[in-house]
Amino acid sequence: MTSVKRSRLTSPPWLFAAPALVVYALVVLYPAASGVVYAFTDWSGIGQDMSFVGLDNFATLLGDEQATGSIGNTLLLTVAIMLVQNGVGLLLALGVNAKLKSRALLRVIFFAPVVVSPVMVAFLWKYVYNPDPSAGLNGLLGLQVDWLGDPSVALWSIAGMVVWQYAGYSMVIFLAGLEGVPRELHEAAMIDGAGTFQRFRYVTWPLLAPAVTINLMLSTIGGLKLFDQVFAATNGGPGYATETLSTVLYKQAFVFGKFGYSTAVALVLALFVAAVSLVQVYYLRGREVTA
Amino acid sequence: MTDLRNARVSRGQFFRMMGGLAVAAAATACSTKPQTTATTGGQPAATELKFVGVADQKAPMDKLVAAYQKVKPGVRLTTSFAPTDQVQTSVRTQLGAGNAPDLHVVYPGNGSAMSMSQIAKAGLLADLSDQAWTQTIPDGFKPAFQLDGKTYMHSAGSTVIGAIYNKKVFEKAGVDTLPTTWSEFLAACDKLKKAGLAPIALGAQTPWVTQLITYALVPSTVYAKDPTFDDKQLAGQADFAGSGWREAMEMYLELQKRGFFNDNPNGTTFEQQISLVATGKAGMAIQVSAVLPDFRKAAASADDLSMFPVPGADRADAVWIPAGVVVGLGASAKGANAAEAKAFVDFLGKQESINAWAETISAIPLTQDASSAIDPAVQSFLPFTKDRAVPFMDQRWPNAEVQPVHFAVVQELLAGKSTIDEALKKMDEAYQK
Repeated sequence: MTSVKRSRLTSPPWLFAAPALVVYALVVLYPAASGVVYAFTDWSGIGQDMSFVGLDNFATLLGDEQATGSIGNTLLLTVAIMLVQNGVGLLLALGVNAKLKSRALLRVIFFAPVVVSPVMVAFLWKYVYNPDPSAGLNGLLGLQVDWLGDPSVALWSIAGMVVWQYAGYSMVIFLAGLEGVPRELHEAAMIDGAGTFQRFRYVTWPLLAPAVTINLMLSTIGGLKLFDQVFAATNGGPGYATETLSTVLYKQAFVFGKFGYSTAVALVLALFVAAVSLVQVYYLRGREVTA
Repeated sequence: MTDLRNARVSRGQFFRMMGGLAVAAAATACSTKPQTTATTGGQPAATELKFVGVADQKAPMDKLVAAYQKVKPGVRLTTSFAPTDQVQTSVRTQLGAGNAPDLHVVYPGNGSAMSMSQIAKAGLLADLSDQAWTQTIPDGFKPAFQLDGKTYMHSAGSTVIGAIYNKKVFEKAGVDTLPTTWSEFLAACDKLKKAGLAPIALGAQTPWVTQLITYALVPSTVYAKDPTFDDKQLAGQADFAGSGWREAMEMYLELQKRGFFNDNPNGTTFEQQISLVATGKAGMAIQVSAVLPDFRKAAASADDLSMFPVPGADRADAVWIPAGVVVGLGASAKGANAAEAKAFVDFLGKQESINAWAETISAIPLTQDASSAIDPAVQSFLPFTKDRAVPFMDQRWPNAEVQPVHFAVVQELLAGKSTIDEALKKMDEAYQK
């Protein structure tokens, strides 16, 4: 086969991809690029009045207590969700990967919350988090906690509902990873006298590295841009206790009518998410091994 | 059967197929739905108008749209309603994109991103000044309806903030006469508390509910002493921190300190607040009269509930009340059916329409005639509306940031995470933006 023919076979099928790429460019790339332009303007979101303000929006962001405060909340939420969601997801995956008769049913049950709308989950959990001592989680656990109304608890309550919803998602990715661990490696380890924990530590865990990478990256991105659950459950309150970067940029655009500034916040958030994701993938890929 | 897997498409055929698809897609995208379609049997087909409003507007709009269909069968009005924040998001996006609905919700005055002033300034609201009803707007309400002397919004009247109370609960607790001074109000709360009930239900998890107690008190602590406070504040000669707002915040927190609210107000929603009063677990809720129908629906009997003005002063004659213009609607200036949309607003401006709208939401009609019916529950507010009432405070604030800051600082105060000094400082900072 000539090199010309070979290169035709290996080059991407651009012609076939063209329609999809055009739609993608119109629906995703063009609005995103427009957003970047608006970040340097003072547009209110309505009307034609708009002027370029250079880097003013970004300078304002540095001195905006509400926005900078929300960065702390966003990071705390992200770390909590990332650790707990993946911890619970891994335990669930190990559980339903065992030889249980009901494992197919359990997989469905644990995954079910993922397909529910996040807003619906937030409304459901508002009932679960009813502050009445005889209702919801308080009634079940015999507590008197104001889950969403106490500023020192509300952020963790939101993390709890997010973990409840997405632990099943992490579970499915870990399960896919567990399916790829060769049985013979476990058998060899057993012959060498390895116990259950040692087999997990030295056989399963290293081979799960790709699944860990994907799960950590997805949960980090999800945590950093968390909006629906916060908006529906607390709207950033009480006070500013659960305000995240996403709720701040929403309010700036649609409540305060500062579309340009809001877009600047969104741009910073997008760059931050991209940077964190790249660093995370670079670091985690380094520890991946194959069987 | 043709084996599809082996079917081949030449490059030329592929381009022709894609070209056809692209043309079809472009034709679909560029076509617009004709607003007035061809006639059928000599009858013109319906002109379609679209209205997007907030949930509070559903009941009166349903009633008046049905009435309008009878007057103008050639116009078909489709309506959709959603909570305030969702409407604010979708309508502002449509306004920005230039495809706003023909008619949409508009908030009176200034101080909200969907307020009359903000949208009219952008040139997106039709001028309604040539309609007869605009000549009858009371002078005190004109800033809520007008910008630079032109009317851009319709509203059916005014609503008041006061205490929605459960008569049976008050009777059971021995509160025989309604309080007319702050001391009497505290004494009534005390009696309710001693009867084992929450005197005041507060659903502060719902942001807009947080503002109502300060709004109920500020007319007495600020405007009764200085009716020109708003003008002075706009001119930079007054601020929140140095005004009766401080006293109102102290009174708010005094209610909490005395244990007059339900447990965990920051974790309680507006819906739970309604339930607490309607089911007799709480004596009253400080609320806007427009939601009285919601309380009545939740109660065993609608007659169990009524309202009284919250006395924010220790002399009955020094008590003022908040009476704001009801959330209204405007016609899009850029819509293809602007003339028909304005005609509907003109219909809403007729006295019988104003009466019907006001009656549905227990409001005080904008203008009144012999057939105007005022809900008995708000009758006790009428003596105040002549010279001891002020519009809701946010309607004269200069930007949309002060109100959300007010919500947030009240939640922080209730949670004990802030002080009145810090709260008022934040509000002043937001006012200056």
